[in-house]
Amino acid sequence: MIEIRELKISYGDTHALQGVDFSIDAGAVGLLGPNGAGKSTLLKALMGFVRIDSGTVTMFGKQMPKHALDVRRKLGYMPEREIVKPKESAVSFLTFCGCLSGMTRVDAMERAHEVLNYVGVDENRYRKMETYSTGMCQRVKFAQALIHDPQLLLLDEPTSGLDPEGRIEMLDLIEELGRKRKITILLSTHLLPDVEHVCDRVVMINKGRIVVDGPIEELTTAREGCVEVRVRDNEQAFLDALVRAGFTWRRLQTGTINLTVPKSTNGKTVFEIARACGTQVRHYRAVRQSLEEVFIGAVSERDHVGAAQHSNPQPETSMAK
Amino acid sequence: MPIYHQTYRTFDGTLRTRHRWWAIVKHEFRVLFKSRPFLVMFLMGYPQVLLRVLQIVAVDTLASNKNNQITQLVQQVMALKITEGMFFDFIRLQAPIVFLATILAGSGMICDDLRHNLMDVYFSKAITWRDYVIGKFMTLVVIGMIFTAIPALFLLGLHNLLAPGMETIRATYWLPLPILAFSTLLVVPCALGVLASSALFSSERYAAIGVFMVLSANLIIGKSLDRANEQLQVLAVPLALNRVGEKLFQTRRPMVDISWEWSVFILVLVCLLAFWAVCRKVKRAEVAT
Repeated sequence: MIEIRELKISYGDTHALQGVDFSIDAGAVGLLGPNGAGKSTLLKALMGFVRIDSGTVTMFGKQMPKHALDVRRKLGYMPEREIVKPKESAVSFLTFCGCLSGMTRVDAMERAHEVLNYVGVDENRYRKMETYSTGMCQRVKFAQALIHDPQLLLLDEPTSGLDPEGRIEMLDLIEELGRKRKITILLSTHLLPDVEHVCDRVVMINKGRIVVDGPIEELTTAREGCVEVRVRDNEQAFLDALVRAGFTWRRLQTGTINLTVPKSTNGKTVFEIARACGTQVRHYRAVRQSLEEVFIGAVSERDHVGAAQHSNPQPETSMAK
Repeated sequence: MPIYHQTYRTFDGTLRTRHRWWAIVKHEFRVLFKSRPFLVMFLMGYPQVLLRVLQIVAVDTLASNKNNQITQLVQQVMALKITEGMFFDFIRLQAPIVFLATILAGSGMICDDLRHNLMDVYFSKAITWRDYVIGKFMTLVVIGMIFTAIPALFLLGLHNLLAPGMETIRATYWLPLPILAFSTLLVVPCALGVLASSALFSSERYAAIGVFMVLSANLIIGKSLDRANEQLQVLAVPLALNRVGEKLFQTRRPMVDISWEWSVFILVLVCLLAFWAVCRKVKRAEVAT
């Protein structure tokens, strides 16, 4: 669906993207990166909104930006910046968006009502948009991306400005579209929990380069020698015995205990100690690396490479390797 | 609260691929005709039409009787005669209304979309900057034509209906062309000027003030240069427009003695400059460089 090869984009002297390479066939993909990493530029390149210095962007088998119109017919875009048509209602605005997409007015209006219902704008859809809260504007923004039933959704910070409840609702909607409706989603954000909630795969970008690309399940692999447990009865005695056996432990806010298993022993020892102390182990699981840790690791690793690059300049190709 | 589970439904209709700018024109008109100030302006454009209708009815029906007092009045008062000059005057006198209506409708057209970040949304749909510019421009052109060419052609038709005969046809058969040409020359620079102002300024109010300022400055400069050389009056766009109108309608009483070729050149130049400014701004909104 999306194929990007050696994409380079610059704004004057600023290199926003420096040889980005990745492809998306289907599913929900999270585009993660710190501020100024090049996420929005990448989305704009997919829409044909920026001039490409070199490289290729192919979407639905068509070259961008040459076939931008054909491609835009199949994709929905939710921009990061707040949009509002002050003197118009959400229905009127969405109907117009539908007409711009090529629908007849009757179809566009019918679809506008459906989509606004779906995103939860309900009866507020008849009010002028200038009276909307940020959350409502965000929902309308999401609705306009769905108006023409796109095959691909490009979402730029879809949860910004939403309260926790609204955020979860928005993420649930996005997840449903990806999982049940089989709409391919590219979610650009710097909020890691949003990506974990919605996506199966993550692409991390930093300083215009892709630093990590892979399924979240694989990236957040089990950490060797780390387990988390929840226990009942004689907890203190159990923890003391573990320390004597060479374990170290840390209690998390949730009440779960993270254990570091010494190399000389294994997980089985935990159960033996528990039995000896009369403690019941209610939960036992290997600790997985969090997406946050992967992200911080990737970003800082790249920074180190970048620093080394500055001190000892080498050709572009050697750095990519 | 709906009793059914509201879920996402796919759209199985077809999407139109041609004349995408037409959606913009229709939407702008829908919005404009909901606006009270615009409706007031719209009504203000029609008293002259009504007066001209009365004039034509009076001259063509009542004055057909040679012994009627109105016949004598018409023969003495030049302004009451239904000639090419009447149509020229009609369109000329509609110019302030066209100007104000265009400002009212168009000064916020581009700057508001830019200010409210709507360009990203519009260009994520299947339209290009060309469709956008054509849509906005055509809206203003149609508004201008509603006050000029359309009523003028209606008046011409009415005159031919009320005074049928070869004599009337022979006197008026050539008039639709100058009516359309003069209306276009009046409406197009107005529309492009207002759109350019809307593209260059950050708000509707500044855009409207900008157009007024530029037009006033243009008139003042044109009139000032008149002292040095009368031909330089051509630089004042309203005077240039009048001169072209006089030429088109072949009126024998030129108000300003300037070259009509230069007048056309000035009008075309103004249009091109304004068009370039609009295109540049909107194109940049679609494809950032």
